[in-house]
Amino acid sequence: MDQANTKVIKQRTVFSRLLSYLKRDQKRLIAAFALLIIATGTDLLGPIIIKIFIDDHLTPRSFEPSVMVLMAGGYIGIIVLSCLLNYVQLVLFQTAAMNIIQSMRIDVFSNVHDLGLRFFDRTPVGSLVSKITNDTEAIKDFYVSVLSAFVQNIVYLAGIFIAMFYLNVKLGLFCLVLLPVIGFIMVLYRKYSSQSFLHMREKLSELNAKLNESLQGMSIVQVFNQQRRLKKEFADVNKEHNEAWMKNIKYNGLLLRPAVDLVYVLAIMIVLSFFGIKSFSSPVEIGVIYAFVNYMDRFFEPVNMLMMRLSMFQQAIIAGSRVFELLDEDDQAPGTKGSSDPVITEGAIEFKNVTFSYDGKHPVLKNISFHARPGETVALVGHTGSGKSSITNLLMRFYELQQGEITIDSVPLSHYRNDELRSKMGLVLQDSFLFAGNIAHNISLFNTDITRERVKEASDFVQASEFIEKLPDGYDQEIGERGSTFSTGQRQLISFARTMAFEPKILILDEATANIDTQTEDAIQHALHKMRSGRTTIAIAHRLSTIQDADQILVLHKGEIVERGTHQELIQFGGLYFKMYTLQQKDKPTEEVS
Amino acid sequence: MQDLNVFWDLMWYFKQEKRRYLTGIALLSLVSLCLLVPPKIIGYTVDHIKNNSLTERQLGSYMLILAAVAVTVYILRFFWRVLIYGASIQLALLLRNRLYTHFTNMSPRFYQKRRVGDLMAHSTNDLQAIQQTAGDGVLTLVDSSMMGGFTLITMASTISWKLTLISLLPLPFMAWSTSRYGTMLHERFHKAQEAFSEMNDKVQESISGARVIKAFGQEEEDVDAFKALSKDVVQKNIAVAKVDALFDPTISLVVGASFFLAVSYGSFLVLNGELTIGQLVSFTSYLGLLIWPMLAFGWLFNIVERGRASYDRVTALLKVNDVISEKEDGIQKTPAGSVVVNLTSFSFEENGQKALQDIHFELNEGKTMGIVGKTGSGKTTLCRLLLREFEVEDNQIFLAGHDINDYRLHAVREAIGYVPQDHFLFSATVAENIAFGKYRASFQDIKQAAKDAAVYEDIVQFKNGFETVVGERGVTLSGGQKQRISIARALLTEPELLILDDSLSAVDARTEEDILKNLKRKRKDKTTIITAHRLSSVGHADLILVLDEGRMVQKGTHEELIAVPGWYRDTYERQALESLIAKGG
Ligand SMILES: Nc1ncnc2c1ncn2[C@@H]1O[C@H](COP(=O)(O)OP(=O)(O)OP(=O)(O)O)[C@@H](O)[C@H]1O
Ligand SMILES: Nc1ncnc2c1ncn2[C@@H]1O[C@H](COP(=O)(O)OP(=O)(O)OP(=O)(O)O)[C@@H](O)[C@H]1O
Ligand SMILES: [Mg+2]
Ligand SMILES: [Mg+2]
Repeated sequence: MDQANTKVIKQRTVFSRLLSYLKRDQKRLIAAFALLIIATGTDLLGPIIIKIFIDDHLTPRSFEPSVMVLMAGGYIGIIVLSCLLNYVQLVLFQTAAMNIIQSMRIDVFSNVHDLGLRFFDRTPVGSLVSKITNDTEAIKDFYVSVLSAFVQNIVYLAGIFIAMFYLNVKLGLFCLVLLPVIGFIMVLYRKYSSQSFLHMREKLSELNAKLNESLQGMSIVQVFNQQRRLKKEFADVNKEHNEAWMKNIKYNGLLLRPAVDLVYVLAIMIVLSFFGIKSFSSPVEIGVIYAFVNYMDRFFEPVNMLMMRLSMFQQAIIAGSRVFELLDEDDQAPGTKGSSDPVITEGAIEFKNVTFSYDGKHPVLKNISFHARPGETVALVGHTGSGKSSITNLLMRFYELQQGEITIDSVPLSHYRNDELRSKMGLVLQDSFLFAGNIAHNISLFNTDITRERVKEASDFVQASEFIEKLPDGYDQEIGERGSTFSTGQRQLISFARTMAFEPKILILDEATANIDTQTEDAIQHALHKMRSGRTTIAIAHRLSTIQDADQILVLHKGEIVERGTHQELIQFGGLYFKMYTLQQKDKPTEEVS
Repeated sequence: MQDLNVFWDLMWYFKQEKRRYLTGIALLSLVSLCLLVPPKIIGYTVDHIKNNSLTERQLGSYMLILAAVAVTVYILRFFWRVLIYGASIQLALLLRNRLYTHFTNMSPRFYQKRRVGDLMAHSTNDLQAIQQTAGDGVLTLVDSSMMGGFTLITMASTISWKLTLISLLPLPFMAWSTSRYGTMLHERFHKAQEAFSEMNDKVQESISGARVIKAFGQEEEDVDAFKALSKDVVQKNIAVAKVDALFDPTISLVVGASFFLAVSYGSFLVLNGELTIGQLVSFTSYLGLLIWPMLAFGWLFNIVERGRASYDRVTALLKVNDVISEKEDGIQKTPAGSVVVNLTSFSFEENGQKALQDIHFELNEGKTMGIVGKTGSGKTTLCRLLLREFEVEDNQIFLAGHDINDYRLHAVREAIGYVPQDHFLFSATVAENIAFGKYRASFQDIKQAAKDAAVYEDIVQFKNGFETVVGERGVTLSGGQKQRISIARALLTEPELLILDDSLSAVDARTEEDILKNLKRKRKDKTTIITAHRLSSVGHADLILVLDEGRMVQKGTHEELIAVPGWYRDTYERQALESLIAKGG
């Protein structure tokens, strides 16, 4: 019960927030509403004219030509006018709704870009994408179909009631009975049908998530011969989805149009009985009957419409709550402190007692301190999972620092503006990622300063130009889904070239050459060596030959620096470099071998 | 009009579900008939009132009839919905399963050429449009023809055919204009959809590549690119709205004109005594009944138009036959034995560049082979050929003495445990990921596989141990952890042939040695193929191939290869330092 209550309240806040977006295109919407009301009003005049015609002219058979022309002209004029107004009104509404949605989409999209990687770590891509595109699309329906339908139909219903009261107060009162009946059906509908509708949507997104993942990992599925199992799993969810859907169809069958039409006949019965009984005692104006029957016909179209839009409404509210959740997400990327706008000139990096944990419990880095002087190369080595990539994550300010301090040129990292940091620091990620588009775009991204020349230079630098130039379209070669037609090493070279094209002051290489052969790697090393003056480099590698020239090697073990020095020093310095191996060999629990 | 053909295309399904459809349509027609009753009753009542001849009994029986009709219609409507919509969603289920099955049969070539986003769109939007055709499409077709027809007949036969004819004069105008709007809408709608899917793809890219975009500080530029795309979506959608908004006013106009004609000409007839006022009232009531069939007609075109396009796309997709061909009577038994390759040439595209040529080797059961070579030299390609991920000609690759093409696909793949170079983990728990290839494995076995892959210690350190859910594609794991979980996944299936494709690149020298030691011990009698850039991974192999630009340039054991000048010795010398350290001296 309580839960249901909070849910309702939450729905209300979502609703009012959705309404508050209307401000974004206020003028257009006000115009649309005004036209809508006028159009509805004119529309409702039609039956009254016919009523007057039947009662005052047809029944008494008085047809004065001038009056007839006036009435006919009035009637036609009203129809044409209301059609025109309706058209303009519809277009205005749609345009306004689309503008609102566009601005909402841009808000969400840019907000997502402001979020920290911690957020991306825990949120599946598919669900984010569907929030930004599909959910906003559902909200569009809220503005286009639901809101305008509600306004239009409520105005219409009000108009009908006014007209009915104008025609016959008593009968109008009787017809008021219809409102609670319809209200009751709506409540029932919301309770059962909307619920089952939501359940069905949940199943559908489960289904799509499964499909999406299968499509991405199909080669693994096939290689491991798991097609049959996954097909079964998929078919099971598919079946559940269909069952939920079927249930929804049944509820709709019980509560939507069929139910409303049942009430419609009830209404007709009220009208006919009313006039029938009245006719026992006094004469009745036939035109009034006509008008009432006609209004009843018109009355139920909007009611049906409203009922149909209810599930859309419900869906929009759910979609809205998902989108607002994303907009309110405050797992922001670490921001800038102070407004001094420092600039990186030297590239001196210092870590002071940095301790870090992803989940707030298990520390991944403990008390890390080191200093990289401008132009130096610092290498990080250590067992897998020892925290090397995490150090680069902190240096790139992907995650908020928890304890200790990181400085660049003696200024705390947190004082730099993001664009300053990102334009001076270049990272080659451990997992290379290629975007759709051609190779040149993948290297320059959106940076228009990077000319084709520079793209080529960068590719040359990382030894990628050789294979790129062999491609049929060279640098303009389009890249398939995630670059699947390139070898892993080639993909890594492209993303390396991307970093070099940005000419960073500080270069961070996280296993940048792990999938690349030694000859190519040596050539890259050589090139880097030539360019090293003035560029600070942090390099991570398991292949120790990669980092032998480093000015400083830090050996990480379970998040701590256990060893540091140059390569030579480490070997001569009492062999701690290998002692680590022997020590750990002893540390290893014997069960592993058993 | 020819869009209606989609019903022919779907005939196989209608036939399959003919009971549901026929009953449903029968019920629908009954409903249409029942709906003709109330206007008649209204007319009678009005006439009686007018003539002051209404009695209480009469009024009572009229009301009873109305109530009976209403309840009947309610019940009938419920059931036709269950029948027809039930059948239509069944079709969606069927096609969805069919598509999924189809996807599982497609080879990597298929996926290389297509974007996941587009495939998803086919399985969601297109299926929805087809379902609508089989549900609402049938409904609108039946309703517009039945109800429209019945109503027209009643109007013409029981009231006045002249009046019917006159008041329907505006109808051709409606048919003409809606079909015109239809064509306009079609084009614009198509463009709007394209714009939307382009935007969708963009978002997908941006989110998947968020790390890269952040690292390069390209957020603002990316938002700008998105703005442009979303603006395009808005413009295209407004263009749609401008046409879409024509429908309702046009229909109102036509309906209004019909009413006008009905009332004016009807009054004329009343004056002439050819019609009673009650009849006129019920006539306008019938006209009201015609609105829905007219709307339904317009809607029908909308539905079948989309349904037709979607059905064509889905059938085209289902027809794509990018499968690895299998012999019906192929060998079912999993091959266990030697691997012999006599490859003369292989290319990804027909008549395309040769990716591999002249590769010959023999690998006996229980032996280990290493493949090394430059980036892009074809190591992965060779591994994937052994898995039959791509087609090779006959007599080029032999497993256990038989041509690889003579085996059933599942037999080949059961024999092989593959650790791909690009690890792909599913968003499931660590245990489920390791057990992916052998779903019913005991926890004991899973643990053992993790230990053999030297990842056990890492896993137990996680907050939830083996039950830790790895993020999408394993984002919350370190590079080496992902790699070793994939190794464990392959080891658990205890394959006859294990292929490690550069799978030790992200682990340190000691862990690598541990894993290699475990492999040696565990897989004494089984065959193993390892590709690597670090020669330490393949130094112990019984046979080492060196590839360069798709050709085999050297072949031999480690000792043989370092004895002669060449790529292998060169690399060895460059890496010597590392092995020096790893060996502790
Ligand atoms: N985004 C994340 N969220 C939670 N935990 C993480 C995340 N990234 C890494 N970890 C965990 O932190 C630890 C250190 O990971 P890190 O990636 O820094 O290791 P690494 O030294 O780079 O290892 P490798 O050599 O295998 O790449 C690992 O146990 C890993 O599971
Ligand atoms: N599916 C594909 N379609 C077309 N060309 C491909 C495809 N896969 C790979 N190639 C090309 O074939 C060549 C060999 O690629 P392969 O992946 O076998 O190299 P590799 O030796 O494994 O390299 P790496 O050491 O980088 O992993 C490369 O030039 C690559 O671009
Ligand atoms: Mg790492
Ligand atoms: Mg490869």
